[in-house]
Amino acid sequence: MSSDDILKLIAQHTREILPELEDHPFQRSDSLGELGANSLDRSEILMMTLEALDLKVPAVKFHGPKNIGELADAIHAQRVTV
Amino acid sequence: MHSALRSELVFSGMGIVSPIGLGSDAFGAALMRGEHRFGVMQRPGRQTQESAFLGAELPELALPDVPARVLRSCSLSGKAALAALGEAWRAARLEAVDPHRIGLIIGGSNLQQRTLTLTHQKYADRTAFLRPTYAMTFLDSDLCGLCTDQYPIRGFAYTLGGASAAGQLAVIQAADAVASGRVDVAVAMGGLLDLSHWECAGFRAAGAMGSERFAESPQAACRPFDQQRDGFIYGENCAALVVERAATCRQRGLQPKGLLTGTAVAMDGNRYPNPNAHGETRAIGEAMQAAALRPSDVDYINPHGTGSPLGDQTEIQALRACGLEHAALNTTKSLTGHGLTSAGAVEIVATLLQMAASRLHPCRNLESPLDDAVNFVGATARPHKIHHALCLSYGFGGINTALCIQNPLA
Repeated sequence: MSSDDILKLIAQHTREILPELEDHPFQRSDSLGELGANSLDRSEILMMTLEALDLKVPAVKFHGPKNIGELADAIHAQRVTV
Repeated sequence: MHSALRSELVFSGMGIVSPIGLGSDAFGAALMRGEHRFGVMQRPGRQTQESAFLGAELPELALPDVPARVLRSCSLSGKAALAALGEAWRAARLEAVDPHRIGLIIGGSNLQQRTLTLTHQKYADRTAFLRPTYAMTFLDSDLCGLCTDQYPIRGFAYTLGGASAAGQLAVIQAADAVASGRVDVAVAMGGLLDLSHWECAGFRAAGAMGSERFAESPQAACRPFDQQRDGFIYGENCAALVVERAATCRQRGLQPKGLLTGTAVAMDGNRYPNPNAHGETRAIGEAMQAAALRPSDVDYINPHGTGSPLGDQTEIQALRACGLEHAALNTTKSLTGHGLTSAGAVEIVATLLQMAASRLHPCRNLESPLDDAVNFVGATARPHKIHHALCLSYGFGGINTALCIQNPLA
């Protein structure tokens, strides 16, 4: 699964948590915070994505990314590592 | 412990969700028709492969004003709370009240048990993926957060445990909060206690929940004060009541729905489920004393009346000891089921609606009354002008609460 595929999963889960983004065209440069996700929403989106990938990695490993593109890359890198 | 005379306190609005009706109008009409929705419960998490617990479940709740992102992580207890609060809020025109002068007390503890059970089942073997929101939503106080997030309540908000007396206890606390000047308006809620199959099994094992006797005929299972009763039958209910002073109510152009004239709480000194006629008698007597009522003044009683074999018998003893056999009495739980933490608030709503309608709702399944000397309403609704009503709630752990309501038009 590529970083772009993971990005699609992140977008899917973001829409689930924030239904008002149903028609938002997600870009790699989008920031979850700027899209309206609070800290708990962001944790929820991350956990849903990790669950979909069956990737058991502590959430703290993903605190650095500034946008969803970087987050997708970080998750992709962890998948490769694991 | 009774509180001093508080005839200036009133109920200015109410909201309710019940299996027999969503909203006061539908609920009131269903009460008078003697409706019910008892059956084998269907909601996920309510049964095991071996069980067939009976109860009354809510129809789908419509919450068009609540954003989808909020509803997504909202338990059934949370949705019911928002629905009841929303109706009460609009009815009492609380948008015109300073949010800092409004408080909220949600009666009940361990309210979201079924949601917790479903979450534990789902993540039992993959706790690494447990949703972060669990850290927030497992707390009862999440309901306070939810309600104050959706409605501008900025005074205080807390949950209040009191087992099956919790709903009435919340009203008593709300009255104290207004009487003391802590807030101008206090909303009291009887929270929806969402039972999982674990609590159902526990209540059944303890002999509190029926009905093995009527397993094949769920409509006949809930029968408070009937000789054939074999325990309470659960119902998903939630109600909210707005308590304030008559003066602030009238400032917003509202007529009070009822005057709250006396309350009392009495503890038995008993951790267990056993009812106690002494404690009940004390609560009733102290509430009537606070309201300056003689027994002959009381012309309607909404009893605790769950269908518990010992509880109903004990309640009759207490009513007799207080000289209240003459007062008309009906069994709201025979229509709504026993909401446990919500029951006290639900039954105050039922009392206020009957007071306004000058009509008493019927009792279902009261075919062979426990005591013929008690003035039970029969199987059909009947006209009756209520002047002074007495509402009673009792709970496990030896808690007894009583509350007197005067008809504002009497």
